[in-house]
Amino acid sequence: MLTGLFFVANASEPGKLLIWADDTRAPIMLNVAKQFMQVYGVEVEVQEIESGETRGQLATAGPAGEGPDILIGAHDWLGELILNGLIEPIVLEPATIAEFNPVAIDAFKWGNLLYGVPYATENVALIRNTDLVPEVPATFEELLTVAKGLTDLEAGEYGFLIQQPDPYHTFALYTAGGGYVFGKDADGVLSPCDIGLDNAGSIAGAVILDQMVKDGIEIAGAGYGEVTGAFNAGSLGMMIGGPWTLSDIKANSINYAVSAIPTIDGNAPGVFVGVQGFMISSFSENKVLANLFIKDFLISTDVMLGLYIEGDRPPAYLPALAFLGGNADIQGFAAAAATAVPMPKIAEMASVWDAWIGALELIVNQEQDPATAMQEAADEIRALLGCE
Amino acid sequence: MGGSTSSIMIWGYTAKHGLKILFLGILCAVSVYVFVFLIGKGLYVPAVMPLIGSGLISYIFLSEKRYPIRWLIPGLLFLAVMVVYPIGYTFVSSFTNVGTGHMLSKDQAIDHFLERSYTPDNAVAYNYTAFADTSGDLALILEGADQMILYVDGRATDIARSDPRLVDEDSDGTPDRFGNYSRLTIPETVQRLSVIEDYRIQYKDTIIGLESLTKFRTRSSQYSYDPDSETMTDLRTGMVYTAWEGIFTAPDGEEIYPGYKVGVGPRNFVKLLTNPQISGPFAKVFLWTFIYATLTVLLNFALGLFTAILLNDPFLRFRTVYRVLAVVPYALPAFITILVWRGMLNVHFGVINDIFLALFGSGARIPWLQNAMWAKISVLLVNLWLGYPYMMLISLGALQSIPGSLYEAARVDGATWWQRFWTITLPLLLMPLAPLLIGAFAFNFNNFTLIYLLTEGGPAIAGASTPAGATDILISYTYNLAFAGERGNQLGLAAAVSVLIFLIVATISAVNFRMTGTLEELSKNV
Repeated sequence: MLTGLFFVANASEPGKLLIWADDTRAPIMLNVAKQFMQVYGVEVEVQEIESGETRGQLATAGPAGEGPDILIGAHDWLGELILNGLIEPIVLEPATIAEFNPVAIDAFKWGNLLYGVPYATENVALIRNTDLVPEVPATFEELLTVAKGLTDLEAGEYGFLIQQPDPYHTFALYTAGGGYVFGKDADGVLSPCDIGLDNAGSIAGAVILDQMVKDGIEIAGAGYGEVTGAFNAGSLGMMIGGPWTLSDIKANSINYAVSAIPTIDGNAPGVFVGVQGFMISSFSENKVLANLFIKDFLISTDVMLGLYIEGDRPPAYLPALAFLGGNADIQGFAAAAATAVPMPKIAEMASVWDAWIGALELIVNQEQDPATAMQEAADEIRALLGCE
Repeated sequence: MGGSTSSIMIWGYTAKHGLKILFLGILCAVSVYVFVFLIGKGLYVPAVMPLIGSGLISYIFLSEKRYPIRWLIPGLLFLAVMVVYPIGYTFVSSFTNVGTGHMLSKDQAIDHFLERSYTPDNAVAYNYTAFADTSGDLALILEGADQMILYVDGRATDIARSDPRLVDEDSDGTPDRFGNYSRLTIPETVQRLSVIEDYRIQYKDTIIGLESLTKFRTRSSQYSYDPDSETMTDLRTGMVYTAWEGIFTAPDGEEIYPGYKVGVGPRNFVKLLTNPQISGPFAKVFLWTFIYATLTVLLNFALGLFTAILLNDPFLRFRTVYRVLAVVPYALPAFITILVWRGMLNVHFGVINDIFLALFGSGARIPWLQNAMWAKISVLLVNLWLGYPYMMLISLGALQSIPGSLYEAARVDGATWWQRFWTITLPLLLMPLAPLLIGAFAFNFNNFTLIYLLTEGGPAIAGASTPAGATDILISYTYNLAFAGERGNQLGLAAAVSVLIFLIVATISAVNFRMTGTLEELSKNV
């Protein structure tokens, strides 16, 4: 009874906009909401919701008529949200589309429809402590030599760490040799049964990881907290990390630089690129109003810069990006993104993570040889997706 | 009737009666409101529940004969809402395909398709002006390239620019009034936008709908639905999709999403038992869950009882201080302490291995969370730390209740400490504690927090080719099944596992009650 009454106040209702945003984006949305109120006299409520919970909450709240009008999320949610019928296509004028990073627009496309307005791209890059590693290593092989020289496990000093077991952060290792998650069919659409985690390139990447462990460079137990903690303490030379690590690095006054991940065996590695954006719920009672809010108020250099300052993620809106043009961090992440692969947005991706994490765990723990581990992971995914 | 609060009898009712009736009246009013609200949302089962609840409460409070039950009824109702309903819901879900792609009801999915529209090649764009009369009814004037349309009272007609009802007072080219309707400002229009948004204006053989704040445009529906044959037709391609197991499917196998929830009979249970991807680890995970829960209860009880006996010794100084310290793990939130343990057990960065290295040299780095056996030991140790204070507390209480005369008699008979423990302390303790121990078993059987925060079910098992890790228990395995397989959420399948877990735990509870009964019999004979 009480929950029923409680939700009345927090549902998409005619003539009032409800936005779901996480704690870093909510204050910016609130600012824009005030402007919207002044111009159109329409109340905009911003409800804080943890990013990781948005999808699940939307799946239950949306169909029950208790969801938001606008939500903020990542492009790789698209598959699941569209299969569930939870989000609505958005039509942008060609001139507006031209103001965005084409990669970001593509990321939010499903078929030929656009399902979200992007505001930031994010990808990992090589982040190094410039006091420990003044020069960017020219090749990955050189990087490993430098790392070896800096590593002293007994003393708690590390040369180069990739957080483990983590497919997202290790992805560059596989792509350099031609590894991939899902292959594309003739139309360029991802095909869920073409799994490339056990092809030669992926296995070559897993072998590099295995060798890094054997050489005592990479270590088990190095999760996100441990790797960033070591970097922020100044006891780690290089790591693979994203824009979200920067605010803590700055807070700890570590001298750092962001650059592309060096070539492996002469090939440029690709990282995953994720795109954050605004989406409109299918269950919104105010779709035109929500469109108006996004198109006339959120697509502006001020708002996009505000979102950049909160998250350090490079804007997808080109005027805002141009404004930040000289920023070395953004250039570093952009260099790493030059050969980036969009994070697969098909819902089948959900089957990939666990098996892949398991394989990396077995490699890093030295329980299984890298080729077998990757093969078994790929087979496990095929079986889960019914591909045999 | 008696809404009076005076203490004088009015028509045979006292103030107490008045208050009671006022309270019941408010309760019934609220439940009727909630009923109407939920019915409006199409939630029929939840809508009826408050009505039944308030009806029951009213009957019990107004009937003299049902007087004793009134003290039980709040608890019973909460039991129904918080326990019985979720179990029922899980049970029903376990016979459906609910999950990614099948989250909506059939009606919602059909609505989703019927709302899809596209802009046809010969589409016409219209600027529009909204008007409202004094009672708030809307009228719209749509202006296309070469026609003007008046939309009022749900009908669209042509209107000439020279129509005398259109008055342009400030001669800016836009009419300010239409008959007794006056023009809305942009903010006023925006206020009414969600109403205007729902208009589907039938004009000649086209349908015109709102496109943006300032424009209407011809729109064509993309799908039509035939309820008799349960088919969805794509009007652009002519492709016919037939409803088939919760999804509209074309003859060539093409599926259009979203699908919808539909009953699939016992398929989830069959899949659970026959699909080697799932049933393979199921047996193994079930075994470990059992071992883990049993060992946890035994170890925790042993340590808890041991500390309780130590701290019960009247000759021990600072007993209270030790007791308080020993309760600390129980008092701190497990969410935090488990994560701290996870950090301490880290193979390279953890303080425990640092200590081991300092003591025993570089060979002593133990892969606490990396190796299957050590991870199982870690789970048991951390759970021991978390759980022994509870066992200590209940044992302390039970120890006080054992009469000292029994020990005196035993001592007189020359029994050793061991003999006294095995023949007096333990049997007399187990009598009151057995139900609690079985409760602890059931709790740990479903201790998702511990496993998920400490090991996430890991480490992975080499050659397993299944999604279960070495320390996964049934509930964490269910979580993996529910949220990390196929296309994401397989809620129906996860509900089926939950039903099985429920049956197991229910069996344990039944045994619990029977054993409690038996022990009571025993205690009567002592």
